[in-house]
Amino acid sequence: MTSLPVSITVTDLTMRFPVYGVDAKSLKKHLARVAVGGRLGDPGARTTEVTAISHLNLKLEAGDRLGLIGHNGSGKTTLLRALSGAYEPDLGTIEVEGRIAALLDLGLGIDPSATGIDNIRLRGRIAGLTAREIEAKMDEIAEFTGLGPFLAMPMKTYSAGMQARLAFAVATSVEADVLLMDEWIAVGDAQFQKLAHKRLLDLVERAGILVLASHEADLLRLYCNKVMRMDGGVASPVVDIRKLDELLAG
Amino acid sequence: MQTAHHMLRTGRRGTLYEFSMALRDLRASGAQFGLAWALAWADVVARYRGSILGPFWLTLSMGLMVGGIGLLYGQLFKIPLNEFMPFVALGIVFFGAVTTTINEGCDTFTRAAGMLSQTSLPMFTFVWRTVLRNLITVAHHLVIVVCVLIWYGYWRNLNLPLAAAGLILVTINTAWISMLVAIASARFRDIPPIVGSVTQFAMFLTPVFWMPSSFPSRHAFLALNPFFHMLQAIRAPLLGQAVDPLTWVVLICLAIVGWAVTFSVFALTRRRIVHYL
Repeated sequence: MTSLPVSITVTDLTMRFPVYGVDAKSLKKHLARVAVGGRLGDPGARTTEVTAISHLNLKLEAGDRLGLIGHNGSGKTTLLRALSGAYEPDLGTIEVEGRIAALLDLGLGIDPSATGIDNIRLRGRIAGLTAREIEAKMDEIAEFTGLGPFLAMPMKTYSAGMQARLAFAVATSVEADVLLMDEWIAVGDAQFQKLAHKRLLDLVERAGILVLASHEADLLRLYCNKVMRMDGGVASPVVDIRKLDELLAG
Repeated sequence: MQTAHHMLRTGRRGTLYEFSMALRDLRASGAQFGLAWALAWADVVARYRGSILGPFWLTLSMGLMVGGIGLLYGQLFKIPLNEFMPFVALGIVFFGAVTTTINEGCDTFTRAAGMLSQTSLPMFTFVWRTVLRNLITVAHHLVIVVCVLIWYGYWRNLNLPLAAAGLILVTINTAWISMLVAIASARFRDIPPIVGSVTQFAMFLTPVFWMPSSFPSRHAFLALNPFFHMLQAIRAPLLGQAVDPLTWVVLICLAIVGWAVTFSVFALTRRRIVHYL
């Protein structure tokens, strides 16, 4: 449907996280530091920084389904968040052509005491739909969630799997070109997994890009055609999914 | 579809670039103003879900406070009720709106941590959310204002356009203060209590409960108090009094300087705000 090109280009991306500890967040300590003087212009004395991603290069095009593997804290989620546009790089550039949908957190914008329908509306707005677009898609979204009468119930009565259904249904209704996902796709029962699977394949067929971070090799084999390993913020080259075992071993 | 098709994020490219990115954030928030409104509305709905009176609970308690203080202080200061009651009512409603917007500004960004750390939504959207939420709340309190102005007959000579202009100017000023404390509170967790005590202290320094006529006009105590000018810009026209031109000058200058400072602070800290949270 979209004739515009879809791509992700990341060049020499470095992300550093300043760690504002208890000390740094306290105004008194900060003022004391200023009062003592001599530390303002001193870069060595600044807040400690953790390098989450260093010098990462990545190029993805339409049809690419990239799996991200790596230990906890290796920078997978940081990369996904950077691709979503939430984080600004310290060095390098991230350029994304295409509408982005980030499915990183199930609880995003969820009001537990509001009904499922209200949450679909609000989450849809956050995802970039207009009120009218949401109403037009409401039936389709409601049907996909398979929650039926539960949609009129407050969200706090939902199980994690039911929440996942709702969040997934809204997030994928945006007609995004680039889908960023973190692990939680594994939530939900077999029936939901099947539906989600179909929807994801649909998306990729519409010439989209998928970036999926996961620890599960089977899941990655199911959805991805390429894979990249992160290790302490350093990325391996992107390889074909068939080389997943070598990458996991290495 | 409001989602942008192209996104570019880069490392620092100098101060000028940071300002242009901040401006882009502002423009994007304007394009998605409906989202700020939806979030603000959802906040109000969420806060009062399940209660019968909803936001009018706040109006009710404010109305009782107005009545109580109006009667008591009117007696104490020996001011006729038809003069003092409308004065106190307008004071409490509008001063309350200004201080709540500032106080709630403290958690504008901290509350939105989830959304800010995984979407590319403009940060200004969340500032508008706080401001709009408070405008919705004050709209409920207008019931008190309307009742008092009709009951004491002030509706005959009020200057509505001037009061509306005052409200707009006050909103512009409140918005930058709210945003400035939002950034500061994200960085330093000591800011919210400080802001809380400052606004409370300001309530006693500002003629909310006492008449400014106790001082000679343009006394330093009043002229140097920005809250006095904010209050006066809305209250005086509604009471059919003239607004001192000084008030307009102060508010306009404050808006320009305040927004210049706030926008600069935002431009320079924008990259970091998400990491503060």
